[in-house]
Amino acid sequence: MTRAGHHLNDIAGAAPSPITKDEKMNADTPIPFRRLLAVEARKLVDTRSGKIIAVVMVALVVASVVARGAVVGPKLQTLVGTAGIALGTLLPVLGILTVTGEWAHRTALTTFVLEPRRHRVLAAKCLPPLLAAVALSLFAIVVAVPATAVVSEVRNMAANWEVQPLGLLGWTGGNVLVAAAGLALGALLLNAPAAIVINFSTPVLWAVVGRLGSAGAALAEWLDLNTTATPLMRGDMTWSEGARLAASVVFWIVIPMAAGLVRVLREEVT
Amino acid sequence: MIEFRHVSKIYGKVKALDDVTFTVGAGSVTGFLGPNGAGKSTALRILVGLARPSSGSATVLGLPYAETACPGLRVGTLLDAGAQHPGRTGREVLTLGAMTLGLPRTRVGEVLDLVGLTERESRRTFGGYSLGMRQRLGIAHALLGAPEVLVLDEPANGLDPQGIRWMRRLLRDLAEAGCAVLLSSHLLHEVEQVADHIVMIGRGRVLAQGTADELSRGRGLEETFLELTAHTDRSPGATASPGAGAGRGSA
Repeated sequence: MTRAGHHLNDIAGAAPSPITKDEKMNADTPIPFRRLLAVEARKLVDTRSGKIIAVVMVALVVASVVARGAVVGPKLQTLVGTAGIALGTLLPVLGILTVTGEWAHRTALTTFVLEPRRHRVLAAKCLPPLLAAVALSLFAIVVAVPATAVVSEVRNMAANWEVQPLGLLGWTGGNVLVAAAGLALGALLLNAPAAIVINFSTPVLWAVVGRLGSAGAALAEWLDLNTTATPLMRGDMTWSEGARLAASVVFWIVIPMAAGLVRVLREEVT
Repeated sequence: MIEFRHVSKIYGKVKALDDVTFTVGAGSVTGFLGPNGAGKSTALRILVGLARPSSGSATVLGLPYAETACPGLRVGTLLDAGAQHPGRTGREVLTLGAMTLGLPRTRVGEVLDLVGLTERESRRTFGGYSLGMRQRLGIAHALLGAPEVLVLDEPANGLDPQGIRWMRRLLRDLAEAGCAVLLSSHLLHEVEQVADHIVMIGRGRVLAQGTADELSRGRGLEETFLELTAHTDRSPGATASPGAGAGRGSA
């Protein structure tokens, strides 16, 4: 024992001393959620591909705001809205890649061994992209302000600073919704290519469905998230528009996310 | 410390595991030996909660794995060394593990030293790792929480002779310090050299278990292994032919 124990202390054993005393105590308490959250947030940017996505999103927001400003002139509200085109395209993809990544690379094997309560991992995975949607929306607003000022200065035009606070809030909420729709679709399919294809085909789908007589038009009116979220993003949503938005949120976010959660909880990890 | 009790697993019509019962005690290395496709990985996945048994139960330290508060601090697991993001560095893989378990970052350096991965290697991305480096990284990850129980699926795959020798010694040392080690392998000699106790499995059934001496029945462990696994060999036309089993048993 002594020789082996000794050996263990030389090598493995760095283990016993720092761990057995303090950290080992944690073995009897579940991993705090904030720790899972920090780990999942870190996974978004600790690979080259993750960093590239982050840089592309930031760069596209800046580029679209500046380019639109140069073309249409110093209108704050318009410039912010332009950033929404980039965000509306990329946030669902970010959501999809965030949930499906562990299945693509099979890292779910290690992740779920460290935290077998898979619903906690899924929750920790979903929060960072939603927070990123808020942060990028605020960032777009922050970029649009100096862009408006600079364009006004350079082109010698009076700047239009008029914004509707409610509109900006709704616009931010809309960005959060598209990120959530990406997360839900990713959780449902657990396959990035399939989810991305479906995500980008939906406008075509609704264009077709909307032309299939009155029933098709009604369906598109109620379930096309891009259409139903427009009043929210304008900041002038009525009650009936709110009901339509709620219906498409249930259809695109609540139902697929619930089914995806069941799938993540039940499916065998190999 | 590990207990399989009448564990069966059925996929459709296939019985991947059939009434598997065995235990692994503290301070010992148990070799889980069987040809490819015998059900070893399925059993280990059930043990750590990645798959559910159709019947029976598997427990670690007296509890189903998934009910352990923070299992990573009690049980170290390596199921597939290749299952990592190719763009993540080895160090980052360990950092994520240490963060999850609430361990200080210094622990990453300790386990890297322990498995013999250099500072420079640890900063390379996983995609460029050799199979041997992947196994070492996987073992480092399993050791992060200074576990009392180790579960390793084919850990010697891809290790060079020095690596295999190093791992044998590491597992012996850990067992002597009181750790319960369960390692699966299809390589008889690898298991024979490190395990105190051997559980032979074929086609989902435990065929025999005991110490290497008990199992060799005076004529060598290999003979026993081939005889027991011959009629469970999955390759067509190989039934009851010990020669066909030899390729799988010791390749």
